[in-house]
Amino acid sequence: MARRYDSRTTIFSPEGRLYQIEYAMEAISHAGTVLGVLAKDGVVLAAEKKVTGKLLDLSSAKDGGYGGSGEKIYLLNSNVIGGVAGLTADANSLVNYARTAAQRHLLQYNEDIPVELLAQRLCDMKQGYTQFGGLRPFGVSLLYAGYDPHYQFQLYHSDPSGNYSGWKATCIGANNGTAQSLLKQEYKDDILVKDAIGLVLRTMSKTMDSTTLNSEKLEFAVLTLDPETKRPNAKIYRPAEIDALLLSEGLTKQDDDTEMKAT
Amino acid sequence: MSIMDHNGGSVIAMVGKDCVAIASDLRLGDRALSISSNFQRIFPITDRIYVGLPGLGTDVATLRERFRFRVNMYTIKEEREIEPETFAHLVSSTLYEHRFGPYFIEPVMAGMSKTPSGGYKPFIAATDLIGCLNFAKDFVVAGTASSKLYGVAEGLWEPDLEPEDLFETISQTLLNAADRDAFSGWGAIVHIITKDKIITRTLKGRMD
Amino acid sequence: MNTFLERYSSTNAVSQLKRAQRLAEEEDEFTDSAWGSQAGYGQLMNGPPSFTVPNVPDPSSFLRLHTDDHADPNCRIKIQHGTTTLAFRFQGGVIVAVDSRATAGSYIASGTVKKVIEINPYLLGTMAGGAADCQYWETYLGMHCRLHELRNRERISVSAASKYLSNLVYSYKGMGLSMGTMICGWDKTGPAIFYVDSDGTRLKGDLFSVGSGSTFAYGVLDQGYRWDLTDAEAQELGRRSIYAAGHRDAFSGNTCNLYHVKENGWEFIANYDISKLHYDGPGDVAGSPGHGYGYGIRVQGRSSANPPEATAAA
Repeated sequence: MARRYDSRTTIFSPEGRLYQIEYAMEAISHAGTVLGVLAKDGVVLAAEKKVTGKLLDLSSAKDGGYGGSGEKIYLLNSNVIGGVAGLTADANSLVNYARTAAQRHLLQYNEDIPVELLAQRLCDMKQGYTQFGGLRPFGVSLLYAGYDPHYQFQLYHSDPSGNYSGWKATCIGANNGTAQSLLKQEYKDDILVKDAIGLVLRTMSKTMDSTTLNSEKLEFAVLTLDPETKRPNAKIYRPAEIDALLLSEGLTKQDDDTEMKAT
Repeated sequence: MSIMDHNGGSVIAMVGKDCVAIASDLRLGDRALSISSNFQRIFPITDRIYVGLPGLGTDVATLRERFRFRVNMYTIKEEREIEPETFAHLVSSTLYEHRFGPYFIEPVMAGMSKTPSGGYKPFIAATDLIGCLNFAKDFVVAGTASSKLYGVAEGLWEPDLEPEDLFETISQTLLNAADRDAFSGWGAIVHIITKDKIITRTLKGRMD
Repeated sequence: MNTFLERYSSTNAVSQLKRAQRLAEEEDEFTDSAWGSQAGYGQLMNGPPSFTVPNVPDPSSFLRLHTDDHADPNCRIKIQHGTTTLAFRFQGGVIVAVDSRATAGSYIASGTVKKVIEINPYLLGTMAGGAADCQYWETYLGMHCRLHELRNRERISVSAASKYLSNLVYSYKGMGLSMGTMICGWDKTGPAIFYVDSDGTRLKGDLFSVGSGSTFAYGVLDQGYRWDLTDAEAQELGRRSIYAAGHRDAFSGNTCNLYHVKENGWEFIANYDISKLHYDGPGDVAGSPGHGYGYGIRVQGRSSANPPEATAAA
């Protein structure tokens, strides 16, 4: 029955559903997890990389640029970090759009774009792809971790339908249900960034598919406020910094094989 | 009166030994009436690149914001800071986009560019209002006092000036040229850019 | 309107010029005046000078086409103008204050122009507009004032001197003279100022300011002017007004020349550098406020964003 109403975005099914959007969300549920937690003095984002392997050339991530392999976590503006889950190519297109939208706002208003407004811009575009043009929706969900002077630190989640909402802690991608319930239990309203980092990493270690928890499979970012300049400070961690962080949190999980070898 | 003379103002950039200097006057006028004595027309693009925008005042603000847009996009995508030569070409292409309705600005750029060996080399450049690039080795000038700046700079500049000597040279050049131009003056600001720091000084100029 | 005058008048400058031209054509190729005889004033012995004029049908529009005008700032010939001059009458005589900048387009051609013309030891004339026009005609006026003295055995009144000048320039009306001058002196009626310009205006008054910077000078003059100013206060007012104009007007500045006309003649007070007036003030002079005139200097960088401690406490 669904077969007849699912090939085009621009038609409803008899039950009032838009199947293409639901199929897009299905695609995302197979993608690497992205987890975000809002703290009083910052926002923390972590993501599980799916594209790994020894032959992968990550030399630019090691020394140059902002860190991160550029697969899951992106700098959208000086005050917003984005985490993506879903089709990477679609995600690249959306990230580019977000960056341009943020600069257009800066050009017009001479201020950093408010976080919710950036989410709205992207969602307005995503909604358009569900209603006109006959084009398929973007198979991407995003988490926006940002700061603006009006509402301070914020965390938003948007999905292919063009819907968005604000969260204190949320998860997208594979195993997001597990992670969400874990967060619901452990999250406290007045959590600080240093505790949020621990919470995020512990939750990631429990929900990630892989057995190892190291910089090869993990991307990590934190948004805080610089205490002197009072400007947002976005930090996407380099692989070496992620390993150091995991060590300090006591979460370094080795390959079972290597552990055996050591003993 | 030409549109380029409406608000007035002049900028000069000079090359020294392992340093560059860029300086401008601070006057903003409405034809003969002088309105402001602290109008900024030199802006930092990165820690090592400064751009001076003499010409119509509204275009100073607009171009500064346009360059900020494009350099931000470049920085975020490339994940590194833009180099002076690249920025000069960005300026040129941005201006040529408006070939048949131009911005009334003649930008002047000064910066330190990275050499392959890891050191820094002085860099200056200027364009006309539709983007023709001029990579000079000694100095570049623009604005209402440009003809006077050429004259004084030609007389005072010599190669391989140390930062403090370069400061004296560029200051004397700008102040004396501005004193011969009705639409430039009312104070001046000088930036000396070396590979590890930037020294900014405001000069006391003739206030008439 | 001008063509009317040219066609029917027989005594105005243009018809005289045409007569002179016809004369020149009839006799030699060149008149005596073309040889520049007698220090340039030779031809004046026969009344207002006749000038050689380009051999075109309408010389005045030919001139207008080629000289610096509001119509065409990119023309070839740039006449030097742009200035601030002022004069006011008070119980102690007349204060005359002028700037010293001459601009050609936006180029500052000189910062040391003498814009007060000393017609004779008791009459001063100011210069605004075309520098050459003012200099030439006011010197010519000086010559006629002396002739008046010799013929009538008494000093010419300011009224008569200004009327002579005004009638003179009126005969060149429409030909492109540019002059806005104030004839200042002390005669039998007391101190007197007459404003005379190249349109033919002649006005008696107590306070005038002429030039591109006059509006700025008026602002300071109008708030400080009283008849019973002391000499020191009056000089300070004149100085401060020229400073205001030199500061704000792009075409005025460099230095201020200050004169004081008293009953027995004029006295040159001093020359003040306008930028120095901004930072340090006029120095140790009667009427000096004791600090720089500039706004930034007086408020010492304070503003509503950064108020001084006294008001903050209050």
